[in-house]
Amino acid sequence: MAATAASNTPQENLFVRKATGLLRGWSVRDAFIYAAFSINLITLGLYIFSFAPFIPDGSLIWAIVLSGVYLVFQAITYASLIAAMPRAGGDYVWVSRVLGGGLGFVLACTGWWFILWHWVPIYANILNIEVVAPLAAILGLDSVVAFFSEPAGIFTASMIVAVLASILISLGMRTYARIQQICFYGGVVGLAVVFVLLLVNSNSDFISSFNAEAQEVLGAPGNAYQKTLEVGGLEAAGPTSLAIAPTLLLIPMIVFFNLWSNWGATLYGEVRGASDFRKNIYAMGGALIATTLVGAALLALISKTIGWDFYYAANNAYWSGLEGAPVSAWPYPGLLAAFFFDSPILQFILVAILSLWFFGWVGSVFLSSTRVVFATAFDRVLPEWAARTNKNGVPYAALALMLLPSIPISYLYAYTDDFVTYTLDATLVIAITFLGSAIAAAVLPWRRPEIYSASPIARYKILGIPLITASSVLFSVFLIFCLYKWATDDVYGVNNPQSALYMTILYVVAIVIYVVARLVRRAQGMDLKMVHGEIPAE
Amino acid sequence: MIFSKKAPSKRIFFATDIHGSETCWRKFLNAGKHYEADVMILGGDMTGKALVPIVSDGDDRWHASLLEVGHQMTGEDEVVQFEDSVRRRGYYPFRTDGDELQELERDERRRNELFHKCMLDTVERWMRMADERLAETSIGCFVCPGNDDQFEVDDIITQAKRVELAEGRVVELGDFQMASTGWANRTPWDTYREEDEPQLAERINRVVSEITAPPERTVYSFHCPPYGSGLDEAPELTSDMRPKYAGRSSVPCGSTAVREAIEEGQPALSLHGHIHEGKGSTRIGRTLSINPGSSYEQGELLGAVVNLDGGKSVKRFVLTSG
Repeated sequence: MAATAASNTPQENLFVRKATGLLRGWSVRDAFIYAAFSINLITLGLYIFSFAPFIPDGSLIWAIVLSGVYLVFQAITYASLIAAMPRAGGDYVWVSRVLGGGLGFVLACTGWWFILWHWVPIYANILNIEVVAPLAAILGLDSVVAFFSEPAGIFTASMIVAVLASILISLGMRTYARIQQICFYGGVVGLAVVFVLLLVNSNSDFISSFNAEAQEVLGAPGNAYQKTLEVGGLEAAGPTSLAIAPTLLLIPMIVFFNLWSNWGATLYGEVRGASDFRKNIYAMGGALIATTLVGAALLALISKTIGWDFYYAANNAYWSGLEGAPVSAWPYPGLLAAFFFDSPILQFILVAILSLWFFGWVGSVFLSSTRVVFATAFDRVLPEWAARTNKNGVPYAALALMLLPSIPISYLYAYTDDFVTYTLDATLVIAITFLGSAIAAAVLPWRRPEIYSASPIARYKILGIPLITASSVLFSVFLIFCLYKWATDDVYGVNNPQSALYMTILYVVAIVIYVVARLVRRAQGMDLKMVHGEIPAE
Repeated sequence: MIFSKKAPSKRIFFATDIHGSETCWRKFLNAGKHYEADVMILGGDMTGKALVPIVSDGDDRWHASLLEVGHQMTGEDEVVQFEDSVRRRGYYPFRTDGDELQELERDERRRNELFHKCMLDTVERWMRMADERLAETSIGCFVCPGNDDQFEVDDIITQAKRVELAEGRVVELGDFQMASTGWANRTPWDTYREEDEPQLAERINRVVSEITAPPERTVYSFHCPPYGSGLDEAPELTSDMRPKYAGRSSVPCGSTAVREAIEEGQPALSLHGHIHEGKGSTRIGRTLSINPGSSYEQGELLGAVVNLDGGKSVKRFVLTSG
C-alpha cells in the first residue's frame, strides 16, 4: 500500500511515494522517431528539394544544413514551452495562456485547422508523384499514371488522403502509434537501400540504367539522360557552392520540410525534472540534425551518382513544364535509385517500401487539427458538439470539420489554376502560428512568472537572459526572415494580392468565430474571460 | 432558451487533483469568489507525491535539489524561500542532516512515517486556512479525498468548520443533491482507495441509492472517470512503467462501474478527475461529464464552472485554467 521509494525518479535527493501518474522516463528513441517522421525527408524533403532549381545559384546542401542547425533554437523553444506547461496542448493553449485567448484561437484556428484543409491536396500531390505514379508506371499501368496527372486524378488522390487520414485517426492513437513505428522502420530500410544503391553505383552506371529503364518504365525515348540535360539544363551552382545570399534565399523554401520537429514533442508523468526537458531537446533537435545530415548525404550521393546537373535539369523540366522533356514524370529519387534494378518486382518493392514514409505520415494532416478543435471546444469557443466522439472514441465531429471543407478545397485545387497559388501559403500560415508561440515563449518569464519560476527551465540562462527567451527570439528572427522573403520575393510564388486576400479572409473568419463565441457565451452568463483569467492565490 | 442570461439556481466550481500544491489550494479557496460560485467542490487527490530533503551543511548553510537542479542556500530566509517553492509545486520540504538522510534512504518505514506526517500536517494547515478564508462567505465547500489520499485525511476534513467531507455520502447543494466517492478501479500504483470493479460498483450503488432528488437535480462526484468516455485517456505504459511510444499511445483506463452508474442514474452532471491528461467534457446520455484535468505542478488550477438550472441537461459550463 502506497510505499515510498528513494530516488526512483530522475530526480536525485528526493523521495516519492507510490501515487497515480508517477512514471519512469519516456524513450528518447520513440520521440525521435515521431519527430523524424514529422520532418520526413522522403515526402516533404524530396518534394521541396525539387523546387531548388528556381534558385539555381544557391547551395541546396548548405541551405539544408544551415537551416537545420539554426532550427535547433525551435527545438529548444518548444522543449521549454512543454517543460513549463506540459499537457497544455500545444500552440493554442500556450498562446492563449500567455498572450490571450483571442489571439491563441485565431492563430491556432488558422494555423492548425483552416490551413490544413489546404495541405490535403499537397499531400495528394506527394501521394501521386511519389507513390501512385511510380508504382503504376512500374506495373505498366499507363492509364493510371495518366489519370492521376489529370484534375480528376488529383481530386481523387486528395480524397484518398482525406479518407486515409480520417481512418488512421479513427483507429485511435494506440493503433496509429504502432502503424507509424512500423512505417518508420520499414521506411528506414527502404532509404538505406537507396543509399547503398547510390553509393555502390557510378554516374555511368546510372546513365545506362536510367536510359534503359526510363524507356521501359516511363516510355521515354532513347538517351533520355542527355536529352533531359539539353531540355532542362540551367546554369546552377554546385550542391556545396559557397554563394551565401542565394543559399539563404533557399531557406524559406526548405522550411516546408524542416520546420516540423516540434511535432515530436512529448512529456508525460509527474515529478519530472530538467532531464525531461533535455530529452525533448535531444529527441526534437536530434531528429532535426539527423534528418538534416541524412538529407545532405542523400543529396551528395545524388550529385555523385545521378549527377547534380541532371537532378536540377530533370526537376526544372518537370516543374517548368518544358516542352521536349523526354520524361514527363517527376524525377523521384526513389524511383531513379530503383532503376538500378533490372527487375520490375524489385523496383516495385523498393518504391513501395519507401512509400511507408507517406502512409505513416498521412494522418498528420488531420491529427493536430482534431486536437485544436477539441481544445477550443473545451474552452467553449467552438460549440460542445465539435468535441464529440462516438462509443469507440472516434472524434467524428472534429474529423468532419477537417474532412468536409477539404473536399471543395481539393476540388478547387484540382480543377482551377489560381487556387493552387493559395495553397502555397500553407507553410506561411503555420509559420505565423509558430511565431505566436515563439513570442509567447519569449515573454513567458514576465507574463506568467509563477509558471516559469515553477518549471525546470527557470535555471537555464544565457548571459542572464532566460534560455527560453533567447532561443525563442532567435527562432522568431528566423521566422520573420522567412515571412519577409515570402512576402517580398516572387520566387516563392506566395506574394500575390489574391493569395494575401485569401489568407486575410481565413484570419477574418477565425476572428469572427471568436467574437461570436464571446458574445454568445456572455449572453449565456459564461464569459470566456473565465477560461484563462488567473485566480489570485492570496 | 440557450441565449438568455438566465440566473442559475446554483453555480458550482469544481477542481481536482491538486496533489499538495500550495498555490492550487490557495487558488481553490479564492475560486468561489473569483467565479461567483455558490459551491466549490474539490474532487480528490489533495496530497502530494514527493518529499524534498533540505540538508544541513552546518554554519547555517543548506543544500537541496528540485527538478534535478541543485540549490545551495545560506540563512533562514533563503531556506524559507526554497521551501515555499517546493510547496508551490506540490512537494513537501523537510529539513534534515546527512546522517538522517542516509537513515531515511535505508529505512522505508521511517520514510513512510515522515511522508504521512508531512501530508497530514499540510491537510490540517489547509483546513485551518479554509476556515479563515471562507469564514466571511456563504460559499459552500466540499472536499472528497481521492485514491491517492490516505484515510486519515477524512478525519482532518471532518474537523474543519467551513469544509464538508463528501466521501461516501449524499450532500445537499441547495435544490440539488451530490453523491461522491474518491475510490477508483485498480491502478498500477496500488494506491489507498482502489478496488476491483464489482466492489467499486457496490460502493457507488450504496451512495447513489441515498439520493432522493430527481436525475436533473442530481450531481455525481466520482474521482474516477467513466470508462471509454475520453475523460479517461492516459498514456499506455510498458511493463516497467514508461509511456509507450513516447506517450503517443493512449488507452482508456476509467471505471466501467462509474460508467454504468452514470448510464443508469443519468444525473444532470458528473464530475471526475484522476486522469490528469483527460481534460474535457462529454455527454453520456443526458449527463454532462467533466474532467477538468490537472496542472498542479505548474501552479495552475484547472477547473470547471457549471451553472445548474434543473433543466433537462446542463448547457452552461466552461473549463477554466486559473
